[in-house]
Amino acid sequence: MRKVIVIDDEPFILMMIEDKLKKAGIKVITLRESINAVSVVKNEKPDLIILDWMMPELSGIDLCKMLKSEPDIAEIPIFMLTAKGQEADEQLGLKCGVTRYITKPFSPKSLLEMIEETIGKT
Amino acid sequence: MFKQRIIYRLLLIFIIFALIFIIPFSLTIRKEISTIITEEGSLSSPLLKEKEIQHKLTERIVDNMLVFSLYLFVFAFLLSMFFSRSLLKPIRELYKGAKALKEGNLGIRLDVSTEDELGEVTKSFNEMAEALEKQTKDLKKKESYISAMMDPLWVVADNDTITDINPAFTKLFGYSRNEVLGASIYDFLDEENARIMKYQLEEREKGISSIYEISIIIKDGSSMPVLITGAPIIKEGSTTEKIGILKDFRREHELRTAIKESRDYLEIIMDSIEDELLVVDRDFRITMANKAVRAIKGDKVIGDYCYAISHDMPSPCWHEGVDCPAKRVFETGRMFKTVHQHKGAGGKRFFHEIVACPIKDSKGNVMHVIELMRDVTERKEYEENIAQKNKELTVVNSIAGILSRSLKAEEIFGNVLDKMLEMLNMDGGIIFLLDEANRELTCSYHKGVSEEFMRASGRMKLGEDIPGKVAATGQLITTADIGTDQRIERSILKHSGMKGCCAIPIKGKERLVGVFCLFSFKTHIFTLEEERLMNSIGEMTGMAIENIRLYEKMRQLYEYQRQRRAEDHKNLLSLSSRLAAALEIKAVMNSTLDLIRGSFRADLVWLLETDNENLILKADSGLNIKEREIIYQKGTSSIEWYAIEKKEPIIVPAISSESRFYLSDYVRSNYRSAVCLPVYVGEKALGALSLYYTINKELRDDDIHFLQIVASILAVAIERSELYEKTLLERERSDTILQSISDGIMTVDTRCKVISINKAAADMIGIPQEKAAGSQCCELFNYADENLDFRCTLGACMESALEKKSVNVDAQLTTITGKNLSVMISSSPIINSKGEVAGVVHVLRNITREKEIDRMKTEFVRTVSHQFRTPLSAIVGMTEMLIDEDLQDEKKKEYLQTVLSEGIRLSNMVSDLLNIARIESGKEVFREEEIDFASLLEDTKKLFSNALEKKNAKLTTAINGNVSGFRGDKEKIFQLLKIFADNSIIFSDKECNISITLSRKNDNIELKVSDNGWGIPEEDMPHLTERFYRGKYGQKVKGSGLGLALCKEIVTRYDGSITFDSKVGKGTTVTVTFPLRRKS
Repeated sequence: MRKVIVIDDEPFILMMIEDKLKKAGIKVITLRESINAVSVVKNEKPDLIILDWMMPELSGIDLCKMLKSEPDIAEIPIFMLTAKGQEADEQLGLKCGVTRYITKPFSPKSLLEMIEETIGKT
Repeated sequence: MFKQRIIYRLLLIFIIFALIFIIPFSLTIRKEISTIITEEGSLSSPLLKEKEIQHKLTERIVDNMLVFSLYLFVFAFLLSMFFSRSLLKPIRELYKGAKALKEGNLGIRLDVSTEDELGEVTKSFNEMAEALEKQTKDLKKKESYISAMMDPLWVVADNDTITDINPAFTKLFGYSRNEVLGASIYDFLDEENARIMKYQLEEREKGISSIYEISIIIKDGSSMPVLITGAPIIKEGSTTEKIGILKDFRREHELRTAIKESRDYLEIIMDSIEDELLVVDRDFRITMANKAVRAIKGDKVIGDYCYAISHDMPSPCWHEGVDCPAKRVFETGRMFKTVHQHKGAGGKRFFHEIVACPIKDSKGNVMHVIELMRDVTERKEYEENIAQKNKELTVVNSIAGILSRSLKAEEIFGNVLDKMLEMLNMDGGIIFLLDEANRELTCSYHKGVSEEFMRASGRMKLGEDIPGKVAATGQLITTADIGTDQRIERSILKHSGMKGCCAIPIKGKERLVGVFCLFSFKTHIFTLEEERLMNSIGEMTGMAIENIRLYEKMRQLYEYQRQRRAEDHKNLLSLSSRLAAALEIKAVMNSTLDLIRGSFRADLVWLLETDNENLILKADSGLNIKEREIIYQKGTSSIEWYAIEKKEPIIVPAISSESRFYLSDYVRSNYRSAVCLPVYVGEKALGALSLYYTINKELRDDDIHFLQIVASILAVAIERSELYEKTLLERERSDTILQSISDGIMTVDTRCKVISINKAAADMIGIPQEKAAGSQCCELFNYADENLDFRCTLGACMESALEKKSVNVDAQLTTITGKNLSVMISSSPIINSKGEVAGVVHVLRNITREKEIDRMKTEFVRTVSHQFRTPLSAIVGMTEMLIDEDLQDEKKKEYLQTVLSEGIRLSNMVSDLLNIARIESGKEVFREEEIDFASLLEDTKKLFSNALEKKNAKLTTAINGNVSGFRGDKEKIFQLLKIFADNSIIFSDKECNISITLSRKNDNIELKVSDNGWGIPEEDMPHLTERFYRGKYGQKVKGSGLGLALCKEIVTRYDGSITFDSKVGKGTTVTVTFPLRRKS
């Protein structure tokens, strides 16, 4: 079963994504804090990671850099789901190895399509 | 040959017959017999056999014979046909050839197929055809020659009828061939020409060719001159016909007529010439002579020698050494002109001008000479007379030249005397000048006499000796020999060896100037002409001397005038320079008037100024009245008003008798004459300059003119001075404006040198305004290394402005105080009246605030959009989920709850923004009520209890002193506390400590919120209260960036202040001070 880890400090975002993906047969692991995310990812080895940028303690972009620096999980595609809509931000995100840069507000349906496009359908 | 051929052919027929008939027939019979024998071999009876055989043989022979006979007949017929055709063919060919010849085909030739008689006949036929063709060609060629002839041709028979003509005949005369053939030749001739023709034809009968001219009557009835070349056509010794070629002779006829007319015309022209005209041939015989010659020499001059006619000489004139014009022309081939002198009856001289011209033939050889002889005796005499006059005139002219060239009397005397001596061929001369005061003559110049002699005779009384007499009488005296002249009783010259002597008075227009005395050591007879000439020279010299003296006088006068004018000019220059240099006109006005007063010896000089109402005293010399006192009101008929009105100087020679003008009592009683000059600049009246005299003074025109100039200078000076004052005022005003402008303004010249800078600019660069002038513009900013870019930008702006392009460029400037400013450099060229760039103005506008606002605006938009996105995600995403997905009711409720709460969050954010804007604009209503800080602190604690718990943080509150008495809007103050506490919790790690303290400090309430959180980075400190400014740590947490901005607006509303004290990693303290007594 495909597995996606979603990390965002907004609980409703996590809930919404989880509901949508579960219905599509994807296993979802949600994290509200980014600080321990690396070890969770290492343990779970998900097919995809969805990250928020602006999170307390460890920002999404720093977490992304950390994930990409770990060889065994570096290949896992990362979606950046953020309210930062500036073009410069997007460039920075892509530079750090983000596969998709999605700005909020977003459509859960489109997000699912993009996930399936990346990791394939069940 | 022909017979042999027939025999050969018969033999051939026989052989063929034998071969075709006999041999097959014999073979057939033999075959039949053998057949019968074979058949009958079987028969039994021999008899029967024989009879049977015979019978059968006969039958069979007869049968075969019939067949063969038929064959033979057919064959014989074909053979006869063949032979008859071969014999007839050549004969038929000959027949065809003859027929073709008859039809005109002369080119036909037959094939010679046989060598027999028929072949010979064919050959002869071909030769005949060839000969015929050649002859026909010759005939045609001749006919074409005749047709091509340009000249007409006729052939006349014995009976004088025309038998043939050529096409040219028809073309020239117009008659057709049919009209002419058979007609008599006399039908084309009139009676006279018929006679000539008849004679010529008779001559032709004798076999003689002839050429003659007659006229033919042509088709249109007119006659045409033709030249006939006739010849007889002789056949077998006798004339059969005559041929005549008629050449069109009209052109020659016309030429002949023209030549005759020309000759007649020439004779008329020659005869009409009054001078003698001859045409001489190479033998010097006269071939033509005009009427003038014939009238003198008779009609029979033609054929005579020219020299016999012109010189009455028996031999050519060149034998006598005379230059013969005809001979010269024959030799040179060119025109020759000469004058011959002949002696007439009684030895009278005659002069003939002879013009000889060549007449050349077509090769250029001179065949004849035309000689035109004109009697020029009268002209010659006139010329000689003129030459004499010319000679005299030349002398007079040269003397006149001497007189006009020089203005020195001594030089003139010397040169004139030399010229006269030369002209009259005399040996010496003396010039005496009259000393009217002493009534004596003194020697001024001499030549050809010794000094000793001159010492004795260099001075003589008027009336003494010859020169004295001449001086006294003014009459010229000449003597051929002074020694023997009885008229002269006593003279110092008598014993000096002089003989011929002449004394000429030198007379001017009014008086005698002196005496020329010329002498010769030979006897000299003076002609009347010489005397007349010398008198003229004397008069001319006298006039010249008088002129020189007049000139000297004039020169002295001029020098005096010049000196005086120079003095005037000097004064004028001094005045002008003082006035021109003075901008403060008052300073020099009085001294100028003093100068005028002194220069014109006036007793009072004043300058009155008009304000279009009154005449006010501007300046004066010789009067003690207060300046700006009204002298004349408008409407008074004073001299000054009158001068201004008339725009011309007014001269009042006698004030007492002047009734036109109103004069003040003071003037009327003190002065006797006056001059007033209007002072104008263009059409603008400035006032009047007046000079008053205590005497009856009359100023000269040039003085008035001078005063007018002075008045003009004064006018310009006053006007300029006023302008200057205005300019100063204007400049002062501009300076004030310039100095008060907050933008830095620098004016530089085209070489980038600073002309001026204003206060704002001086403050920016820290150099006093006075010191900045003259410095290199860009160097003023050298004080900081950071200004390198600025200087480059300023340089580029300067270059653009110098190319007449105004530019606005943003740049960073570090001021002398180290402040970094964003400035906009606006550089504009200063264009002078000629359209050239005279300098550049740089305006340095501080746009730091604008830049900041711009940055804030960008940040605002960015943050707003960012902050709005998260709640919008809930609204958009969850709504989509609710629509698309089949959710459980509980889930649906949860979703709707989230949408609502995020919607509220969005709404709060919008409210915060609007609050700030409202407070800022003054539209927010603040309630006034006593604030209970203690309860507010409690409420705050309660509000954040969950959050504190979550972070395991601690919040302590304290109130020091009496904090009551502060009135305000409770909600707003609570909002402050919420924002500060929220910030402390958010921007701190777990287990942090937060304290809120309220204190009374004098008349202020002080609120302190401290934490031991992350602290605020230094670079964020200046921007903390800006809207949406999130700072470095703002990235880590969610928020609108509006909290502190809102706090600031609230605090400002209560005239309070807000300060932040923070260290990164240590914590932050926010201090808010509220005054208990507010301004409003």
